[in-house]
Amino acid sequence: MTTSKLDLLQGTLDLMVLQTLTTMGSLHGYGIARRIEQVSGDKVVLNQGTIYASLVRLQQRGWISGEWGVSSNNRKAKFYSITKKGRKQLSEDAVNWQRLASVMSRVLGMQEEGGDQ
Amino acid sequence: MIDWLQQFFHRVTSVFRREQMDHELDAELSAHLDLAIEENLQRGLTPEEARRQALIHLGGKQQAIEQHRDARGLPGLEIFFQDLRYAVRALFKNPGFTIAVVVTLALGIAVNGTMFSMVSAFLLRRPVVHEPDRVAVISSINPARGFLPDTNPVSAPNYFAWREANDLFSDFSAADENRSVNLTAQGKPEALPSAAVSSNYFNVVGVAAYLGRTFSEREDQPGRDHVVILSHELWERRFGSDPSVIGSTIRLNRENYVVIGVMPASFRLLGFIPQLWTPLTLTTADRAISARKDRALYVFARLKPDVSVEQARLEISNLAHRSEQDFPETEKGWGAAVRTLPDFLVYNFGIRNGLAVMMTAVGFVLIMACANVAGLLLARATGRQKELGIRIALGAGRLRIIRQLLTEGLLNALLGAAVALVLAWWGINFIGTKMTFNEAISAVPITLDRNVLLFTLAVSLFSAVLCSLAPALRASRTDINTILKAESRAASAGRSHSRLRTILVTGEIALALFLLVGTGLLIRGLYVIEHQNLGFQPDHLLTAAVTLDSARYKDAAQQASFVRDITSRLQHIPGASAVAVASDLPATGPNTVTVQIKGEPDLPANQALSTRDVIVSPDYFSAAEIPVLRGRTFTDMDNATASPVVVVNQQFVHRLLHDQEPLGKQIRLSVSGPAPKWCEIVGVVANVKNYSEAPDEDPAVFEPFLQRPIPSFSVMVRARTDPNSLSSDLRSAIEQADSDLPLDRVMSMTSVIDLQKGGDVLFVRMLGIFAFLALLFAAIGIYGLIAYSVGQRTHEIGIRVALGAGSSQVLRMVLLEGLKMTAIGAALGLALALPLPKVFAAMFTGIVFVEPAVYFIVPLAIIAVSMLATYIPARRAASVDPTIALRNS
Repeated sequence: MTTSKLDLLQGTLDLMVLQTLTTMGSLHGYGIARRIEQVSGDKVVLNQGTIYASLVRLQQRGWISGEWGVSSNNRKAKFYSITKKGRKQLSEDAVNWQRLASVMSRVLGMQEEGGDQ
Repeated sequence: MIDWLQQFFHRVTSVFRREQMDHELDAELSAHLDLAIEENLQRGLTPEEARRQALIHLGGKQQAIEQHRDARGLPGLEIFFQDLRYAVRALFKNPGFTIAVVVTLALGIAVNGTMFSMVSAFLLRRPVVHEPDRVAVISSINPARGFLPDTNPVSAPNYFAWREANDLFSDFSAADENRSVNLTAQGKPEALPSAAVSSNYFNVVGVAAYLGRTFSEREDQPGRDHVVILSHELWERRFGSDPSVIGSTIRLNRENYVVIGVMPASFRLLGFIPQLWTPLTLTTADRAISARKDRALYVFARLKPDVSVEQARLEISNLAHRSEQDFPETEKGWGAAVRTLPDFLVYNFGIRNGLAVMMTAVGFVLIMACANVAGLLLARATGRQKELGIRIALGAGRLRIIRQLLTEGLLNALLGAAVALVLAWWGINFIGTKMTFNEAISAVPITLDRNVLLFTLAVSLFSAVLCSLAPALRASRTDINTILKAESRAASAGRSHSRLRTILVTGEIALALFLLVGTGLLIRGLYVIEHQNLGFQPDHLLTAAVTLDSARYKDAAQQASFVRDITSRLQHIPGASAVAVASDLPATGPNTVTVQIKGEPDLPANQALSTRDVIVSPDYFSAAEIPVLRGRTFTDMDNATASPVVVVNQQFVHRLLHDQEPLGKQIRLSVSGPAPKWCEIVGVVANVKNYSEAPDEDPAVFEPFLQRPIPSFSVMVRARTDPNSLSSDLRSAIEQADSDLPLDRVMSMTSVIDLQKGGDVLFVRMLGIFAFLALLFAAIGIYGLIAYSVGQRTHEIGIRVALGAGSSQVLRMVLLEGLKMTAIGAALGLALALPLPKVFAAMFTGIVFVEPAVYFIVPLAIIAVSMLATYIPARRAASVDPTIALRNS
């Protein structure tokens, strides 16, 4: 079980991207993907299709903005940063997720107790 | 909401910025790969291994691009554009095919658009007034059945009685729509159609004046009624659109009237053509019993807010029933009808049935066009099976294939619609110039308006679906295994395509036959009428219309003396051989009245005898050249002081007197004016058709003008040479008698009849065009199918020839194939067309549609045409060279 990768729920990746940009500031697509993979302990594997689809979606909603720049090792890349609107969205969504996560864990915990009897 | 809109906007724009966005994504993806490789190198991998691992980790680039496009854009729209691009490519790849499809569809759509312009002009255009559906029009139902008997005007006493008794209407008004006034301006008298209306008429109908005002409350009282409202058209034509005309005085019927208003140009009630409006003055005399027979008013009333037309109909018919009980002498059998204003106008115009036939015909033409196009598409589908098979093999879903074929159909139909609009524009102009055979028709502009545009668009979408759905569904069922494996001459799929096409073409033949039989019946019916003997001699007859005003010609005696005066003046014109006046010109539909015969028992109302009634001066019969069969006609001695006499026609003797001796019999006509007297029949004349454009001859009674003078009549001058050469003499003779009296419609009797028939001629000509198109489409359909099937079977035919089949055998085989289809289609069409005479007889009263020859000639013609269409490809089949045919495959 531990070897299998997590399937991302709809919308979760968007939230991860926003959180990553909040903590890391401006970052390119590769950086964002690597960061999320590392934080997840390599439980999440992001192929480029998934990450860039999420980035363009967030841009169109106006939650992040992108700008071409040069990376630390002198490579041209598009750097993304979170917008004011994005921060607002993130705080709302984070609260929702935490609430949902705590409810889910409680509900699942209850089922386990029932299974023991 | 704003967010959503913003995102939608981005999604739409990104569809159109596809290249730029792909380019940017590409740059990002390469940067991504480079960064990944670099990191792998830092971890100490060899360059090849670093690259390999990065590529594995990142996933497919093409999928990433697709995923990106789906996320940023509108996949549905992109697919549509993709299909559209593909369709455009397919169109250009095969221009001959495209032209055939587009032209066929364009013809089908154009005839529909053109015909619909008439529907739009006559049936859909609503009167430009406030809430027209809340205006009720009340009319009388004439017990003597004539044309549209339930649109007869109402008498003044009934108008008063109904206005006072009912409580369903908020306002009640009356209008005499068929008056004629004499406008004298700059010394030139002109007869104009006018209406006399209650002072509240414009409020009831719901329309305000364009300039000035409408009538005020007391202006329908005698003494205050010399005010007039002009139509926009008259104001433009005679008064140069001068706004200062308001308040000025004009001469109408030799009296001064003050112009108080001009109506808007948009105020036009279908079928009514007044150029000016004066107040309708009703006095106590109009409440008398004697006024009950004078039915000249249409009642316009506005319904109270919660009242339905059905309620009003019930109430008014109860009131009419009460009138009938209270005044049986005059009201027996008469009822009342209530319709909303838009309904009444369309119904009263009586054009619905003609348009229904036309629209049905063009509908069939469109279906046949679609069937042909569907046939073409099916034929091409066979050629495209490999292409579609490859698409399906590459993962295109069934829905996707249908979608793509429908997109192609839509593109075809829209191209067809564009061409059709040009054709329809031309057709509508053509109809517009032809629809001028009477004033009420010419008053209605026929244009390519919004309704026509929308209809044309809807028809094209409909035909897009109709002609591409069958091929699309069939194509989507393509079995790729057989297609991709099979040799190019595999015939199984082709066979089932052909079966569908055979059904389509058979249906086309049935429809074409149905249309041709229908058209044939109508043409034959109208041809008989065109060449019928009218019962009088219309050549060499000059006519004109006169309306005597009440200012100078106050009473019957003055009207009679004027007629005596002008007939004697006109007789002195050199070249004139006989002169007469008559209430109606021959064969122009005189009034129908009920009649009693002395000595016969009184009949119940619904069986009352009815007859046509014409008032004529003594020389009418010689001027019209109507043969006198028995007794005598009128003389100048049959005047007001002599005992009343009448002349009747043969039909009267036959149908109403049952061939008894007519001379000396006494009859009484139920006509307006003082109490009708018993009149003696003194003569019998030959029958004249009621209308030049209908074959029926009703019983008719002729009354002498001097005994029953009327203010409005026609003048007839029999000429020895060209009747039009006498028109200036006619004008000056009338001018000498009364220089202020206008002459209207000065024209030869043949022109009168031509105008009267104009509608029928146009009707038949258009139907003929549609039927010809139908035949053409059927011929093209059968030709296309046989040619295609011969092409498909070249191999098979080659084998047959190689095995010893002669060319005449092959020819017969192919011809038989066409004949079988034609025979089945024709039989179907005949079965469909059998009830047509009954249907037409119910729709077009007075035309005889029993024409068995049509049922033989049309199927023979269809078979001949389809044999010809089959013969061409059959010849080709017969000349197949087996060595070439077999080597080719």
